[in-house]
Amino acid sequence: MADVLGTFEQAVLIAIVRLADQAYGRAILQEIETRLGREVAPGAVHATLERLEEKGLVRSHLGTGTPIRAGRPRRYYRLESSGVAALNDARATIEDLWRGLRWPLKGHI
Amino acid sequence: MRTAPPHWADALLRLFLKPEVFASVSGDLLEQYRDSIHPARGRLRADQWYVTQVFGFALRGGRLWAALFAGAYVARTALDWLAPTTDFHTRSEVSTALAAGILLASGFWAAWRSGSFAAGAAVGLVTTAIAAVLNIAGTAVLLAIWHDPHIMTAIRGSGGLEEVLVLPALLILPGVALAGVGGLVGATARRLVRGT
Repeated sequence: MADVLGTFEQAVLIAIVRLADQAYGRAILQEIETRLGREVAPGAVHATLERLEEKGLVRSHLGTGTPIRAGRPRRYYRLESSGVAALNDARATIEDLWRGLRWPLKGHI
Repeated sequence: MRTAPPHWADALLRLFLKPEVFASVSGDLLEQYRDSIHPARGRLRADQWYVTQVFGFALRGGRLWAALFAGAYVARTALDWLAPTTDFHTRSEVSTALAAGILLASGFWAAWRSGSFAAGAAVGLVTTAIAAVLNIAGTAVLLAIWHDPHIMTAIRGSGGLEEVLVLPALLILPGVALAGVGGLVGATARRLVRGT
């Protein structure tokens, strides 16, 4: 079984999938904020990316700098095969939990 | 000339990040600062935003050590209240060694990670400041649970409530110094082992 992912880890990994070859720190942050509809701390995203890389679920490489970043490089992220497996497992777990229930739930259960 | 966040905040950020990620992380923050925060909020509030983000990184760097430090402090307080003694010598030796060990380790870890000995002192400041808040909160919880006359006698016998509540703030400066020593050792060890 692949790594068990937290909700925020899933959000970060899904953002990387959506952004494909444009998945760098700030773009990932914006994607998550758009999807979740709330502000997210950049530190939370970077800490999660660092943890996911330590777990071997993503890998990163440095790109080139831009003037708005004072020449500081972007770090681009991609999913490793173990990251894809972990994300698939997370999705399957949620679907198993919901199977047989009508969504959205209504009234008192 | 483009607007830039406070230089000192950038320098502080460097202390809490690994050297290999500093450029990309600070670049992301700078891009967001210039691209969206500054145009929308103006210079002063954009600077406030940047400093807040840097403090967020600092808090992440010190929170584990602060939890350990506060855990040790509150445990010692609970021991003195629930198992009173008249000879505090051994307890003081053990708790002082434990606190010093945690602070030295925090400084060593931070300097080893960032490559800068100043990171040790910075983590020491964050650790002891967060721990001071946690210690006072922990003491308040202990007092809310245990406050019968026997316990109140034990509290007076172990130095009084004032000491328990004021000591966390008094530990900040020595804590910074100890973590700074740990930082010096950590940065030196990194240079010897990794050559950076």
